[in-house]
Amino acid sequence: MRKLTVLCVDADDDERAATRESLLTDDDVAVTTADSVATAADALDGAAVDCVVTAYDFPDGTGLDVAERVRETTPDTPCILFTDASPDRIDTAGREDVVVEYLPRDTPDARAALVRMVGNLVEQRTQVGYPLPTREDERLAALEQYDRPGMEAADAFDRLTALARGHFGVDVAFVGVIDAHEERFLACTGAAWETLSREDSMCTHTILEDDLMIVEDTHEDGRFADNDRLDELDIRAYAGVPLETPRGATIGAFCLTHDEPRSFTDDELADLRRFADEAMDQLELRRQLNECEDEREATQREATEGDDSGGDGS
Amino acid sequence: MSVQEPTYTFDGLPLAGVEPGTNILVTGPALGGIRELTMRMLLRRHSREGTLFIAADVDGRETLSDYEALGGDLDFARVGVVDCTENGTDDDGHNVHAVGSPADLTGAGIEFSSLYERIHQNGAGQVRTGVYTLSPFVVYAPAKSVFRFVHTLTGRIRTADGLGVCAIDPAAVDDQTLSSIAQAFDGKVELREVDGQRAVRVRGLSDQPDDWQPIDFDTA
Repeated sequence: MRKLTVLCVDADDDERAATRESLLTDDDVAVTTADSVATAADALDGAAVDCVVTAYDFPDGTGLDVAERVRETTPDTPCILFTDASPDRIDTAGREDVVVEYLPRDTPDARAALVRMVGNLVEQRTQVGYPLPTREDERLAALEQYDRPGMEAADAFDRLTALARGHFGVDVAFVGVIDAHEERFLACTGAAWETLSREDSMCTHTILEDDLMIVEDTHEDGRFADNDRLDELDIRAYAGVPLETPRGATIGAFCLTHDEPRSFTDDELADLRRFADEAMDQLELRRQLNECEDEREATQREATEGDDSGGDGS
Repeated sequence: MSVQEPTYTFDGLPLAGVEPGTNILVTGPALGGIRELTMRMLLRRHSREGTLFIAADVDGRETLSDYEALGGDLDFARVGVVDCTENGTDDDGHNVHAVGSPADLTGAGIEFSSLYERIHQNGAGQVRTGVYTLSPFVVYAPAKSVFRFVHTLTGRIRTADGLGVCAIDPAAVDDQTLSSIAQAFDGKVELREVDGQRAVRVRGLSDQPDDWQPIDFDTA
């Protein structure tokens, strides 16, 4: 298993050291530390963090300020408020939306409970701000098979999205894959998007659909009405068809967006499905090509190794 | 496989018991008995069970008196309320903890975790958590935070071998939001009323009766 990195934030040197020690009892955990909201923010900007454990009181703010920073940088990362501050003393004003776990330090065996909680929150992806597909782990494993160097560089997707944008007369057409925490755009005509966090991405919802997802007006849909990021990107209408692998895993979507509300006719949706099928076929061909290449390389390597051991060195 | 008694049972309701760690979404019209159904699913079966309410539509005091009226045993070491209504007030004597607003999901989450832990420490090995209802959260808080909040609740309940029963009135939220929220639950109990007859149907949970089962609540 990959090592988890936990950021432990506490202004009290002894407490911080003790928490760090307990977290390190799990061999799969690495710990970085910070002693203030500001240094925690620096740590978050630096390396990837899988979980944040923070005290409440800091000279320059509170543990909820740390959580706010997490939601701004890597929103999926779970945060645990590990504190002796009682709920009554915790001021949530301005921080009503961050949502954290809370573990009081006077819990019996609090630090052992903390270690378990870190593992559970990371494994179960408990603090993500979007619905999770039922078999998310299988879905991510399937994506890995398609996700190879060069996938983004494929001209075929650029051509497809350029054709789609002209055909439908929309602002933007794109092909995106949804990984564990982000949507990555393999091709995007009409905008220069590269990635979008999953909680802001409409495709995160599309991959739950069997057929497709249409949102004629984002402001009229409870899932997106308060998503400011969509307004920043001028997304007001959306149509997306899931990209489903031959084995039934949904790894991304072929999508159209427009800067004002609009509807899509049945003929348009039928065409959009064709574009999605074409994109999925491209991805599948590339996967098979990669597989063949891997096999050929493996065979060659074996042959070379065979020569080496069998040769007499002359 | 051995046949084990399910941990959480629902006496007097046409529902089979469920395994520890199960989260159930209960849907139905606000005036069609969904409150009674939710409350009954939260009745403690023995003294080592606890019940925790997250009240958003009605305040803590009313929640407790309704629960008691349906036969709920108010042992305040193991029964408590996180009151998320606008005018909720703390009431230590009745184990009511006010958050102040259904928009404060951070506060609701912290009070929930804290109360859950205390009920557990007071000897309740199994805890039933009821949310009545999710609708105010959906209305007053951003969608992303609602997902995060619901995942946090259901995640803790799953990990702690609890039971989660969350009510929502489909009329109060749009269909898409409802089906996205339902994603976080193991199954659904739907309540409906046709020609004066109420009935429930279970979706997504194993070993439950098929189809609509008539249900009658005693008029208290």
